[in-house]
Formats: sequence, C-alpha cells, structure tokens
Amino acid sequence: MLGIGTYLALASVLFGIGAVGFLSRRNMLVQLMSIELMLNSVNVLLLAFNRAYPGNHDGQVFAFFVIAVAAAEAAVGLAILIAYYRIKRTVDTDDATLLKY
Amino acid sequence: MQIEATQQIMLLLLVLFPLGGAVTNGLLGRYLAKGLVTLVGVGSVAVSFGLAVASFVQLYGLHHEAHHATLVYHFYEWFSLKLPGGQVVPVNVRFAMDSLSGIMTLVVTGVGGLIHLYSVGYMGEDEGYPRFMSFLNLFMASMLILVLGSSMPLMFVGWEGVGLCSYLLIGFWYQNRDYAAAGRKAFVVNRIGDFGVLIGMLILVVVAGSFEFSEINAAAVDGRFQADFPVLIFGVAPSLATIACLFLFLGCTGKSAQIPLYVWLPDAMAGPTPVSALIHAATMVTAGVYLCCRLSPLFITSDVAMSVIAVIGTLTALLAASIAVAQREMKKILAYSTVSQLGFMFAAVGVGFFAAGFFHVFTHAFFKACLFLGAGSVMHAVHAHGDADIFKLGGLKKDLPTTRWTFLASCLAIAGFPLTSGFFSKDEILLGAAAQIHRPDDALMQAVGWFTLIGLTLAAVMTAFYMFRLYFLTFTGEYRSADQSGDHPYDAHPHESPPSMAIPLVVLGIGALVVGFLGLPHVMPVTGTHLPSWWGHWMESSVAGRPVPEELSVVNLASGLAFAAMAVGIGAAWMLYRNENEDALAKAAPARLYQLAFEKWRVDELYAAIIVNPIRKLAAAVGHSDMTFVDALMTRLPSFNVRAAGRLFAHLQNGVVQMYGAVMVVGFVAVMAWFWAPHAAIEADFEGTEVALEAPKGLGYEYRWDANSDGEFETAWTTAASTSFEYQQDDMRGVAVFLRSIETGSERRIRVTEKWTSLPIESVVPAERMTPSERGFEVRVDGADLVFRKPFVPTGSQEMRLPMGRVGRLGQARVFARPLVEATVEVRNAFGNTRRASRELALPFAFEDAAPRASLMPPSSREVLR
Repeated sequence: MLGIGTYLALASVLFGIGAVGFLSRRNMLVQLMSIELMLNSVNVLLLAFNRAYPGNHDGQVFAFFVIAVAAAEAAVGLAILIAYYRIKRTVDTDDATLLKY
Repeated sequence: MQIEATQQIMLLLLVLFPLGGAVTNGLLGRYLAKGLVTLVGVGSVAVSFGLAVASFVQLYGLHHEAHHATLVYHFYEWFSLKLPGGQVVPVNVRFAMDSLSGIMTLVVTGVGGLIHLYSVGYMGEDEGYPRFMSFLNLFMASMLILVLGSSMPLMFVGWEGVGLCSYLLIGFWYQNRDYAAAGRKAFVVNRIGDFGVLIGMLILVVVAGSFEFSEINAAAVDGRFQADFPVLIFGVAPSLATIACLFLFLGCTGKSAQIPLYVWLPDAMAGPTPVSALIHAATMVTAGVYLCCRLSPLFITSDVAMSVIAVIGTLTALLAASIAVAQREMKKILAYSTVSQLGFMFAAVGVGFFAAGFFHVFTHAFFKACLFLGAGSVMHAVHAHGDADIFKLGGLKKDLPTTRWTFLASCLAIAGFPLTSGFFSKDEILLGAAAQIHRPDDALMQAVGWFTLIGLTLAAVMTAFYMFRLYFLTFTGEYRSADQSGDHPYDAHPHESPPSMAIPLVVLGIGALVVGFLGLPHVMPVTGTHLPSWWGHWMESSVAGRPVPEELSVVNLASGLAFAAMAVGIGAAWMLYRNENEDALAKAAPARLYQLAFEKWRVDELYAAIIVNPIRKLAAAVGHSDMTFVDALMTRLPSFNVRAAGRLFAHLQNGVVQMYGAVMVVGFVAVMAWFWAPHAAIEADFEGTEVALEAPKGLGYEYRWDANSDGEFETAWTTAASTSFEYQQDDMRGVAVFLRSIETGSERRIRVTEKWTSLPIESVVPAERMTPSERGFEVRVDGADLVFRKPFVPTGSQEMRLPMGRVGRLGQARVFARPLVEATVEVRNAFGNTRRASRELALPFAFEDAAPRASLMPPSSREVLR
C-alpha cells in the first residue's frame, strides 16, 4: 500500500501543473481545464487524508462538494466562454479587455 | 372681591364648534352638498355665538355679586417650562372670560357670524367655497383662542393661528400671483412682530414667574416690573416694564398694522371682501389693542412705552388717513381707513385710556365691517373683481337702497356724527389725549398729550373727508359706467344684493348707529351733567387706566375738537364731491403732493430699497457662495478625491487574467506565511496578589508558561490561552520606579540606576505648578529602597530613603517603586512551529521583605547589598 506521501506528491504535481497552466496559457478553454485540474488535486488530497485518518467521512463528503462546485463552475465558465466567443470570435484572454479601465 | 366660576364647559365648546366646522369643511367639504357646507360653516359660528351670549349673561350675573368675576375652564396642562431659577411654570390650556374677553368674544362671534352669513351670498358661486368656509371657521377658532386664552402661550397660539388664517385667506385666490404675494407679505411682516411678542413674553414669564395674564398683571401691580433692565440703552437703564411693553408693542404693530409694520394690511385687500371685513377690519387687527388692554396694568407702569405707543398710534392715524384721501378704490380707502382707526385705538391706549381704546375697537367692528360688506355689495352689484374704482361708479343710491343707507350710517359713525357710535368712542379718545395736557407735573405727558390731540384731530378731519368722498362718489352723481365707455367699465345694470348679504348689512348698520350709547361720556359736554357710563364701569374690573378728567373745560375741548373735525371733514367732502363725477381734490391740490399721497408716500418703495433689496442681495450672495465655495468644499473636493483614488486603483485592473491569478497566488502565499509561524505576546491582569497572564488565541495553538522566567516551564503544553500565577519574593528581578501626578493621576515609569540620576518630575507635573525647591531631586536605587537627595546640598545630609511598596511625596508628584518580574510564554501551532515572548511586569503590590535576590541585581547594587 502506498504511503500518504505518494498521494501528497501526486496532488502537489497536479496542482502545480494546473497553476502553471492557468498562469501561462492564453486560451480560456485551457485555463478552465487547468482550474479543474487544481480542484481535482485538492480532491485527491481530501481522499488521501480521509483514507489515512478514517475516523469519519468528512474528507469524502467534502470531495463531493468540490465536485459539485466544480461542475457549477464549469457550467458558468463555459457559458461565459461561449458568450465571449460570440462577441469576439476568439477565446484568447488577452483580447478580453471590455471592462478594462 | 373676586369670583371665579370654574369649569364652564361653554368656554371650551365656544372654541371647539368653529374648530370642528373648520375640520369638517376642510376635509369633507368638497364632497358635501353646498347646503351642508353652509350649515356646518355658518351653523358652528351661530352656535358659538349662542354660547358666547349665554356665557356673557352668566358673567353679567356674577358681576352683580362681585366686581371681578371670571368664568374659567381648565382643559389640561399642555407642557411646563423650567425657568433659570429652577421654578417650573406650567403652560395650561385654560380659557377665561372676564369683562374684557367677554365683550371681545361677543364681537368676534357676533360680527363674525354675520360675515359668515354674508359669505354665503358673496362666495356661494366660487368653486373654493368649502375651503373658504373652512378657513373662516378656523379663523374664528383661532381668534377665540386668542381672546379666551388665560395665558400668554395660549394667546400666542391664537395669535399665530389668526396670522395663518390671514395668510390663507389673503391668498385665497392663489392662482393670481399678486394675491399670493400679498399673502406672503402679510405673513412675513407679521412674523417680525411675532418675534417681538415672543421676547416680550419671555421677559414677562421670567419676572412674573407665570404665564397667566392675571398673575403677570398682579406682578405689575406689585411693582415687580420696575426693576432696571440689565442693559443700558443710550446710557439709560429702562425698566423691565418698558422693554417688555416695547417688544409686545412691536408685535402689536405687526398684527394691528401700525407704523412701521402696517404695509401688509392695504395689500391684504387681495382677499375676498368678507375676509377684509372680518379679519382686516373687525377682529384680527384689533388683537394688538386687545393684548394691550389685557396687559394694561403692565403697560400703564411704563410712561416711556405708553408715550411711544401714543406717538406711533397718532402718526399711523395721520399717515394712513392722508393716504386714504387720495385713493381711488373702495377697498383701498377702507383699508387705509382701518389702519388709521387702529392708530386712534393705540393713541387711546398710549394716553392711558385703555377702555376708550377698546370701546373704539367695539364700535369700529360694527361700522367698519358694515362698510366693507357694503363695498362688497357694491362690487357684487356691478361685477367688479378684486376692487372697485370709485370713479367708475356713482349714483348707486337708486339701485342699491339698502347698501346705500347702511353705508351712509356707517360713514356717519366713522366720521363721528353726533349720537352715532363713532361719535362717542372718538370723543373718549380725544378726551384721553386732552386729559394728558392737564397734567402739569409731567412735561413728557403734556407734550405727548398735545401731539396726540392735534394729530388725532387732523386725522379725524381727514377721516370724515375721505369717508364722505367715498360715499358721494359712489352713491351720488351719475353712474359712470352706464354708457360703457372708458376703460373696463363695470356692469351697466347694477342690482341689489341677495338677502343673505343684505341682512348683515342692516344689522351692522343699525349697530353702527346705536352701540355707542353703551359708552356715554362720564361728563356731558357744555352742561357738565354726570352720565352713567356702562362701558367704563364694566371695563373697570379688568382694564387699568388713567383717571377720567371731570373738568368741564377738558371735556368741552375734546368734544369741540371732535365735532369740529367731523363738521369740517364732511363739509369739505360735501362741497367738493357731492353729485360730482371727477376728483375735485386732484385739481385743487398740488399735483405732485396728490400723486405722492396716491402712491402711499412711496413707503413700500422705501422699504424695498432699505430692507427688502439688501436682504435679497445678501441672500443671492450667500446662495452664490453656497453654490461655489461650500459645494466645492463639501461635494466637489470629496468627489475629486474618490475619483482620483479610483483612477489609481483602476490601473490594477489591467484585464490580464493571468495577472489576477498571480496576485491571488501571492496573496495566498502571504496568508499561508502568516499562519505558518505562531504569534506570541503577553497581556497581564492583576487581581490582589494573583496575576492573570494571557496570550493571543489562534487556530490549533498550544501554550506553556514560564511565569517567572527562570528557564523552567511551570505548565505543560495546554490549549488554554491564559493562566494565573502568584509571584514570590524570589521571582523579583529588579525595581521599577514610577512617578505619578497628584492632580491628574497621570503615571510614568522612569529609568533610575544605582547611580545618582535627576528625577524628571516635569514629565508628569507642569513646571509652572512646582515651586523651585521641588524641581531639583536626585534619586538612585539602593537594593529594594529608593534613595533621594536634593542637589546643591552636601551629600548625606538631605537623603531620604523609601522602601519598596511605600509612597513618597515630592511636591506635586508621588513617587513609588514596584517589584519587577518577568514572564515568558511559548506558543506552538498545528505545524509544530514554536515562538516565545517575554514581558517585564511591574507588580502593583510589594512583597513583605522586598529585597531582590542578589544574583539578579546588577553587579554594582550587589555590592551595596553586601
């Protein structure tokens, strides 16, 4: 059985990939996917800790919440994306300057 | 002897009926049938009149038992006021009817009722009829409160109430801008006077300690108003009575249209004619005279104020009469006539003939109401709107017989034709003026008497003249609008008014002729026969006054002048205007003088130039500075700041999503860093010898304490953030010295070593509070003791030793030492990171044998101990 350190490493790597992807890519779709990646790394952590300390199921329950929030976020984010695409004919965030001062 | 008949419910109902009528017609009038509006409006006043008569009859009965009889109804205590001396003065809603207010109530309800009846015919076709009736009823209620109120504040309620109604009714046809402006003018001018009444009222209550008229008058009789006013005016200290009376008189000049505040009354003719008759002739404008009579015992104590009143009254009578002579419009002439007659009344008050002045109020109410209603009847007949130009009228005696005869009766009365009412009342006033001439002891009184007598005689001549000018031009000659030529001619076929208008005319006209017999002169002229004067006797009980002269020469002088004035005035008018169609006077008199009189001596223009326009300019300047300076400071500057800050921070919103993400990451890292290491500090709380120690709380924090900082932790790791500890003598690490100001209690810790250091007492006591000898001290620590000495003195001779825990006094300061201990806490958080914090604590108590451990003392003090 793998130790908790393994899961922690996996989650950290996933989170790092997500964070770097979010910060470095300009395609809004890819950025949304990066966010999903970060959320899922947290889910991995929650489950791993829950498995290491199995006194209750708080970690698993919380992971469900995160999934639900992620789903909502994806729905809203994709809706914005589509609306944005209809206006600008692009999904590049550098062109999203409508509200810029 | 005095009698008070208490809780006379009639007095309350007297007021409530018109008030109820006003509310009913005001709120529901527009939905009610016209007949019902009439019933409520006229009926409530009629009931009120009935109650007034019943009350008066009762009062009359009581008067036979005791000379000072009063009917009283105490409704409730409205509020109370605390005087500077601590005395609490109640302000009561309390109505009282004595001989003075009884007569006034009868006049108000009686004449008022007739005018209500007249209004049914005059205003019946106006679409604002219910509103008009409501205002009239409200006026009646206010006037009755003014008259029946037993104290100054309640009277003031009525005083303001009639002012309000006056405003509402002058501007009744508010669609016309000029009429609305006239209403505003009346309101503003009255407000100036009301300010005077308020100040006068406050002086009265402070001196008399009561708002009740009866007690103020009693205080005046006791001479309590004779004290000097605390402020010198022109180097003289006037009496309190003088100041109070002059301020009250300022109010009277506003309400009763005297110089300098009379200017509103002629403009008030913008209101419907019944209003002019009711408010601006018969009742409201006499409120000032009523107030003077009400407080006559007070006024009579101030010769200065009385003289001012007499002179102002005479001047007003003259000025207004001279203006009336040249006017062309019926109501204008009558308005100036009213001002002039009010001047007569005040002149009477000023020469100390309050009863005579009030008698003129009484008779004037009849003939002036009749004259106004007659003018209204004429205007109604010829369909003149607003006012009627007498040079377009003429010859109306054929078409308007009732109006003509009643108008003639009233003209005779106001001119003072023998045996009419005005004859008796004007005679009394002139008699009062003449009486002052015969006071050889007082030069001021004599001068005032001469001035008043001559001025009033001239005014009386003019009165007779302009009234008959009005009469002749209106009712004799030919009807000048008959051929419909000229500018805006009136209806070619005048018609007599309906009965609802004719009946009041007849009643008032008869009254104008006969009511004078109530006030027969005390001494008959020529024969010298003594006559019974019902009026004088009746008024005696509630109105003060100077003695009525008995000498035949004085009586003859006054009567002779009055008769001569009447004869000259009527005679001149007869010659110039009878059956004439043009203004003969305009041809005879110098054109410029006539024009100036026609333009009312240009007083309005003068006021505009010296008062109104400067205030307007000031207001414009203030308004401008508000828009520029104040707005710049209060709105534009803050808005600029906000906008500038917004522009600054808006640059952070650069629209690059990655930038936002990076900021978020940086923030997240900063928060994590904050949580990574725990935060430690110590708060101490002393209770007896127990010391409570507390460290800040945090997520997952655990603590352990080393309360005496000896390197060993007394407690194990615990999640409780506080602990308590009892220090022992061994825990002491040193001495802390404190200096405390005796006066302010401000405390300061001072640094003292084992070497001599000067003591900075100035740090807690201001230098100027110390004597020079207190300033210089030197101090050092010797073990647990403090050692003091004064500099400049040989060492050793002036030393003082102070053990720890004791308090020594040095001049304005206290000095004491406290044991010093140190506490340490170690905090560990969930990450396992720890942090320590230490704190020195100066204990507010001393140990029994307070010597610090030698090992903890600095090396040099260790020497001393050994």
